[in-house]
Amino acid sequence: MATDLLNISPQLIVLSTTVIVLCLEMARLPRAALWALVVGMLTATGVAVDMLGTDTTAFSTTFRVDALSLWAVIILGPATILFALLGRSELKDSAREGTIYSLMGFSALGAMILAGSGDLMFIVLGLLISTLAGMAMAAHPRNDPSSEGAMKYFIYGSVAGAIMLFGLTFWAGLAGTTLISGINNPDLSSYAVMFGFITLVIGIGYAASLFPVHFWTPDTFEGAPVSIAAYLSVVPKIGALFALAQVVRDLPVSLVDWPLILAVLAALSMTFGNVVALWQDNVIRLLAYSTIAQSGYYLLGVIGVGQSTLAIDSMVVFGVAYLLMNAGAFAITLGEGTRLDDFKGMGKRRPWQAVGMTIFLLSLVGMPPLAGFAGKFLLFGAAIESGYSWLAVVAILNSAISLAVYMRIVVPIFFQEAEDGQIRTYAPGTSFVWISTLALTIAAGIGVQWFLG
Amino acid sequence: MDFSSLPLLSITTFLPVIGALVIMVLRPKQTKTAYGIGIAFASLTLLAAIMIWIQGIGSSLSQVEELSWIPSLGIAYRLGVDGISFPLVLLTAFLFLTSLIFSAKIKDSANIFIQLVLMLETACLGVFLSLDLFLFYVFFEITLVGMYFIIAKWGHEHRKKAALTFFIYTLIGSLFLLLAFLALYLFSDTNTFDIQQLITNPTITGLAATLTFWGLFIAFAIKTPLFPFHTWLPLAHTEAPAAGSAILAGVLLKLGTYGFIRFPLQMTPDAFREFAPYVIVIAVFTALYGAFVALAQTDIKRMVAYTSVNHMGYLIFGVAIAAVTTTTSGMIALDGAVLQMISHGVVTGVLFLLVGALQDRTGTREMNEMTGLLKTYPILSGLFMLAAFASLGLPGLAHFPAEFQIFLGGFDVYPVAVGIIIIGLPITTALYLRAIQKVFLGTLPEGFTGLKDLGSRELWAIVPLILATILIGVYPDSLLSMIHATTNFFGL
Repeated sequence: MATDLLNISPQLIVLSTTVIVLCLEMARLPRAALWALVVGMLTATGVAVDMLGTDTTAFSTTFRVDALSLWAVIILGPATILFALLGRSELKDSAREGTIYSLMGFSALGAMILAGSGDLMFIVLGLLISTLAGMAMAAHPRNDPSSEGAMKYFIYGSVAGAIMLFGLTFWAGLAGTTLISGINNPDLSSYAVMFGFITLVIGIGYAASLFPVHFWTPDTFEGAPVSIAAYLSVVPKIGALFALAQVVRDLPVSLVDWPLILAVLAALSMTFGNVVALWQDNVIRLLAYSTIAQSGYYLLGVIGVGQSTLAIDSMVVFGVAYLLMNAGAFAITLGEGTRLDDFKGMGKRRPWQAVGMTIFLLSLVGMPPLAGFAGKFLLFGAAIESGYSWLAVVAILNSAISLAVYMRIVVPIFFQEAEDGQIRTYAPGTSFVWISTLALTIAAGIGVQWFLG
Repeated sequence: MDFSSLPLLSITTFLPVIGALVIMVLRPKQTKTAYGIGIAFASLTLLAAIMIWIQGIGSSLSQVEELSWIPSLGIAYRLGVDGISFPLVLLTAFLFLTSLIFSAKIKDSANIFIQLVLMLETACLGVFLSLDLFLFYVFFEITLVGMYFIIAKWGHEHRKKAALTFFIYTLIGSLFLLLAFLALYLFSDTNTFDIQQLITNPTITGLAATLTFWGLFIAFAIKTPLFPFHTWLPLAHTEAPAAGSAILAGVLLKLGTYGFIRFPLQMTPDAFREFAPYVIVIAVFTALYGAFVALAQTDIKRMVAYTSVNHMGYLIFGVAIAAVTTTTSGMIALDGAVLQMISHGVVTGVLFLLVGALQDRTGTREMNEMTGLLKTYPILSGLFMLAAFASLGLPGLAHFPAEFQIFLGGFDVYPVAVGIIIIGLPITTALYLRAIQKVFLGTLPEGFTGLKDLGSRELWAIVPLILATILIGVYPDSLLSMIHATTNFFGL
């Protein structure tokens, strides 16, 4: 019991931090709540870094303490801090500002539980904690667009979650246990296992905004505050995809050809996300479709699980990269405005931010030597090593389309004249986020070695 | 002389980008100061490249510099030169210097322009010197970003469309390159990205080798470009500023042709041998297509751009001959192909600068709207004619020794293909003579008041390139001895 608790100490620290943050909010001390969140998340991250290399389980193998769950803490802890700082910049002095920080903490906890799931119940639990908190955050402004977005997120979540739960009962019934490892038995009925897997993909795909359960994404992102959209684009997604990796690790290919199912989904997500993004005039919606596409790339790493030595490394590196470049792009969007027109003339107005935004977008395309390139490089490698070269070809063609998508933001920045109008300012938190993520986007691209197991 | 204590290759590669950083820090208000800094660093780079030469270029990859980078994946920072890459390093340093001198008239955001050009120079040098697939790819991609901004910001009327077409098109090519590199890595015995190991011990075979070969082929065929992947080229070359076109044609196309020699020829030699007949057909068609389409142009810059397609056809023909045969004729063809890279870089570079000078004076690129310029601009006209003669392959000028060797080497193996490809020569001759006739001969229209003949800035940029054209034509052995030592070492 004591070792079990010690093994999940990062998650426990996050839980207690979040409770403290909630109490501070009840005392109406939003600033203190923010600082408590920062300190708590840094502590959890530090503990997780210290534990790297551990590979064990806790509580009768229901929770896995391995590279995936530890890296989830190392990625999502700092992620929560970055998005909380963005939230502070955007929502400072709004009513119930502090609730955002505690909800971010809870949602991150859900994602961290997902990433270490060794039991189907943890997947259900993690998904619920992670997305329910997200719904509350999305509704924070209490106006029509945000309520509509949160409502869509909620209803989609309820339906997807219910379907998943229904399907997983088949798995539990077949295997006689809710442990994920119970499914690792070639004698089970292939059809029932396949049904369970498809419902699982629906539940996970919803949180990760995978095609075809992505429909909530653009509306929820557009209605929510920019900082919350940024949070939703990163934290639940990474948790959900890591959970998927935990499941397929134990799923025999002889029962379900899961790599093929995921490969088809990956191809559809990438293509749909990138092609629809070409038509968006709102930067948040454009980035929303881009996250759908990025989820597709991310599946290349999941497909490699068990077949490629690069799989786990690629998921970790792409997770880090995705957090950095997405947080940076959203931060600058928060500073500049959400319409494409708001970016006009930015190259003259704010040259450093303009270069920063260009670097974030080029990193999203996968340009070396940036972090996004390192991530995609490993993802493509994992796909080829797993025998999915055709998917790697689809992915590179999509990278070319995505260049056209992101250039739609770069062109007004450098080659169009500014419109008259009020120029927004950058809050200190926003500046901190884009500058630090910019430095790390470049540093992580060059120093990939640090993230490799 | 011995400079072996200095990491000369790294110094050469990163000197330009240091210049860009100096400009970024100092932020000179005067464009003259900015160009002064840029030209100074470009000159230092050329000097450093010459020091590499003095140090001695070996027949195999030598002067290797290595630093650990990502050991878990077998990636390291590795640089080195041989007789194939060094001439290109020299060409790059030379052409960037002259292009920077030529563009000193650009006043709009001059600081950023110079920084981009210098960054591009570092990236190009890095590509030629890299001995690691990963590092090669990093530099290869940075060239795209640099060139995109140069075209999109300082180009002519359709610059944005041209820049985006260039960027997306060539990005598709480089992404295929990435897949091919990953395949080379995954199928290597020791899981390495080390180019030297992959060359000495090419382990990839069978279907994987075939797919890798075609991945590399598509990547470099887009960059070179070969028909039918050439459609980005005329647009980008025409819309780019003069110095941009010179760099694009002179150096960036060579990333593709250099890639053909370094990767398919050396790493998947068997697959290349098997598919060489297809490559030869494509190369012959490209050469003729480029020549015929150039003949149909009325825009002089577009015409020069299409002659590039024609020359690249000859070049890849030479490489493919070397892939087919291991006899001396293969070596002769490869020698010619490598020399063709340098000749084309110098000749087409200077042609684009001259066309830029012409456009500055007449305000148009349409040959139908220009006539009788010989009397007004005797120096410009004279130099243009000389460069045009070089481009059509006149003996004594740069292209002749290169193309002669390609055809000579090819004649032994595929005489019919040589017979067909050689039709390109009279066509290019015809189109250049027609251009000269239209633009420079005849009588000047009344009331034409243009600027003066070439100024000192333009002469400083153009004359060295013209001298190099003559030097290579008269004494090709200055480079050929070095190239031949390496192709001989290939033992094809």
